[in-house]
Amino acid sequence: MSATHALRPGEPIAGGRAGRSRGVWSVYRAERRKLATQLSTRLLALICILGPFAFAGVLKIQTGSPADTLFGVWVHSSGFALSLVVLSFCGAWGFPVLAGVLAGDIFSSEDRYGTWKMVLTRSSTRRSLFAGKLLAAITFSVGLLVLLAISSLAAGLLLVGDGALVDLGGHTLSTGHSLALVLAAWLLNVLPMLAFTSLAVLLSIATRNGIVGVIGPALVDLVMQLLLLVGTGVWLHLLLAASAFQGWYTLFTAHPYFGPLVIACIVSLIWIVACLVGSWLLLRRRDFAGAPVSRRPGWVVPVRVAVSAAVVVAFLAIASNWGPAGDTATKLKASLEPTFNNLTLLQQRELGRTVAPGAKLNLLTSCSRRASTPAGPGDWICTLNVFIPQPGAQPFQQTPVTYDVSVQSDGCYKAESPPTFVGQQTMKDAHGNQVVNPLFVIYGCFNPL
Amino acid sequence: MVPITYPTQIAKKRARIVTPVAAVRASGLVKRFETTVAVDRVDLVVGEGEVRGLLGPNGAGKTTLLRLLFGLVSPDDGDIELFGRPLGASESVCLDGVAGFVEEPTFYPYLSGRVNLELFAELDGGGAADRVEEVLEQVELAGRGGDRVSGYSTGMRQRLGIAAALLRSPRLLLLDEPTSGLDPAGARDMGRLVRRLAADGTAVLLSSHLIGDLENVCDSFTVLRLGRVVWNGTAAQLRDQAPGSAYRLATSDDARALEIAEQRPDVHATRLENGELRLVVQGCLMGSAAPDGGASVDPYVLDLGRADVAVRRLELVVSPLESMFFALTSDVEVDSAALAELAEAALAGT
Repeated sequence: MSATHALRPGEPIAGGRAGRSRGVWSVYRAERRKLATQLSTRLLALICILGPFAFAGVLKIQTGSPADTLFGVWVHSSGFALSLVVLSFCGAWGFPVLAGVLAGDIFSSEDRYGTWKMVLTRSSTRRSLFAGKLLAAITFSVGLLVLLAISSLAAGLLLVGDGALVDLGGHTLSTGHSLALVLAAWLLNVLPMLAFTSLAVLLSIATRNGIVGVIGPALVDLVMQLLLLVGTGVWLHLLLAASAFQGWYTLFTAHPYFGPLVIACIVSLIWIVACLVGSWLLLRRRDFAGAPVSRRPGWVVPVRVAVSAAVVVAFLAIASNWGPAGDTATKLKASLEPTFNNLTLLQQRELGRTVAPGAKLNLLTSCSRRASTPAGPGDWICTLNVFIPQPGAQPFQQTPVTYDVSVQSDGCYKAESPPTFVGQQTMKDAHGNQVVNPLFVIYGCFNPL
Repeated sequence: MVPITYPTQIAKKRARIVTPVAAVRASGLVKRFETTVAVDRVDLVVGEGEVRGLLGPNGAGKTTLLRLLFGLVSPDDGDIELFGRPLGASESVCLDGVAGFVEEPTFYPYLSGRVNLELFAELDGGGAADRVEEVLEQVELAGRGGDRVSGYSTGMRQRLGIAAALLRSPRLLLLDEPTSGLDPAGARDMGRLVRRLAADGTAVLLSSHLIGDLENVCDSFTVLRLGRVVWNGTAAQLRDQAPGSAYRLATSDDARALEIAEQRPDVHATRLENGELRLVVQGCLMGSAAPDGGASVDPYVLDLGRADVAVRRLELVVSPLESMFFALTSDVEVDSAALAELAEAALAGT
């Protein structure tokens, strides 16, 4: 070790060289660099870029489609539908995993490497460290979401094309309109994504364990997804952060309704604020006293946590009946009838038949839930009796079409009918091209509030 | 037991009159962990340009005291001022001009030493980034700066920790066991570096449980035991009050050397199994007469010379400071038997 530089007498406490632009941005830059060098971040970025292309490529070489997902049946005909299917999947599983990997270890890694004592003895306060790390996590979370949006759109448009998107009311949308709505849908996922990022930060700080921080958000999401499947009440479902990922569906309905969307944004904000306030309080009050040597790892804490979590989940499962039932036969009927009407007209046009603008079928619809209670999410059966005018003694010919409808707690549904009623998944249009049969699977949404 | 003195209290009173700003001024510090009192009413002052050793056995509270000074833990009672400014609440602690580490320095193992330093420089505002190469040179790690820290030895990590501290151009350097893991040459260089920084006005607080590490580096010492300050003063005062020292001795006539030792009440010589002599000298200083005219090893060596006994080897195995440290931090009364035990332990270590 050789000579060091001289310090000037009367120099301020801050070394002259260490005093420039410290604070949140310094921490942010350092954290951004750390995250960018991590293998997990690079792998995620690669998956976000290549994943949609791989998905589109696989669809290209097979005839099947992910019909269970909203817009899934249209992935062979519209690149926008492909982007929306990717968004639906990410909203259900992808984003919580992304948030966990990016933010779940950003604080606990300092515990794992024992580096808290190093970073806290630099010229940054705990406040700056918290804000800087959080900003870095947010940057990467939102950055990967944007990357995924661009990549899925590019994959869809390049490999499938810019064919017209059929919305949840059975209307075809122009290319510009589709693009705007798809971008808005991705944008609406930013807030719930940040809610899960905040949750990952909270778990990372509270448990000081990277595994819990990374896996925790995905587990919480899984529990929320399961809770969305049980109960008939509307309030608890709306308060779950996972349901906020589905708020964008309303943009694609024939008559957009914004109540659930606004609630989704508010719920996301509540989760963000609650998680971040909790995180900051924990970090602010923490003593960095080194590893406790006397405390042996045992089963008491994990068992307590597991039991508490089970009690909370059980309570929430019971509370899922709280509030009015959002999914009712009346609402389902009111949504399914015009959507079926519009899709029938679309089918007729594609078959080359002339259809008057605004034409309406004479429909008599009945829906019933396949469960003990008459309302709520789950499996329904709807029969649409189509009355076709005809000459003769009997003025109408009645044609019943039966759909098995799977209704979600957010009011969105997928209706499927056996091919004997509506034909196969694909059909030949007037030009002899193989196209999607619009009536094979019907997607729709209604306002559960 | 050596009487406990508190020169820092006196210095504190003087400081109020002449108002020199101490780098560290802690008073009445208390820190509890559940039922354990880790730091118990500790007063500490480190002046600018002073190198103070913080001594104590394992569990004495040295590291906790450093953590308190770094703001890593909040005191349950007492006040800390760094350069005349209160340390404040832990969330707003911003350690401008303060550098160092507690326990062993730690880094991001998946990054290189250079990138780790660049990140730390960034946390300081980015201004020191252009000094990374300079500090790597200073700790002789320039050639390995591009390697991942996961591949570094303990000594290299220690050097990197010192580099990280130097990067901040510190006016107060707090180092916990700084020579741990360093080879003898590295420890010596480390000592030189600390003295050089002190000469430039940097206040340095070094902690160790081995007084030998700090003996030739520190101007003053604070000795902790069970969280309390049991001694506080200058290095010279510590030596003055030392209960004794021990040596390994080889002569041309060991039997005669033993006879001569028996004639001196302050010298106790014993023949070891390997044939060497162990010499315990009570209340003496190596190489010079004690200032109070007390015993020293010198008269005994002179006696050997007069008796035509050649001294072939005289090696200090327990220094006066070590014996003093032992006296301050144990319940055992440090007499010749205790010093002999200490010497035996030291010899077994060699």
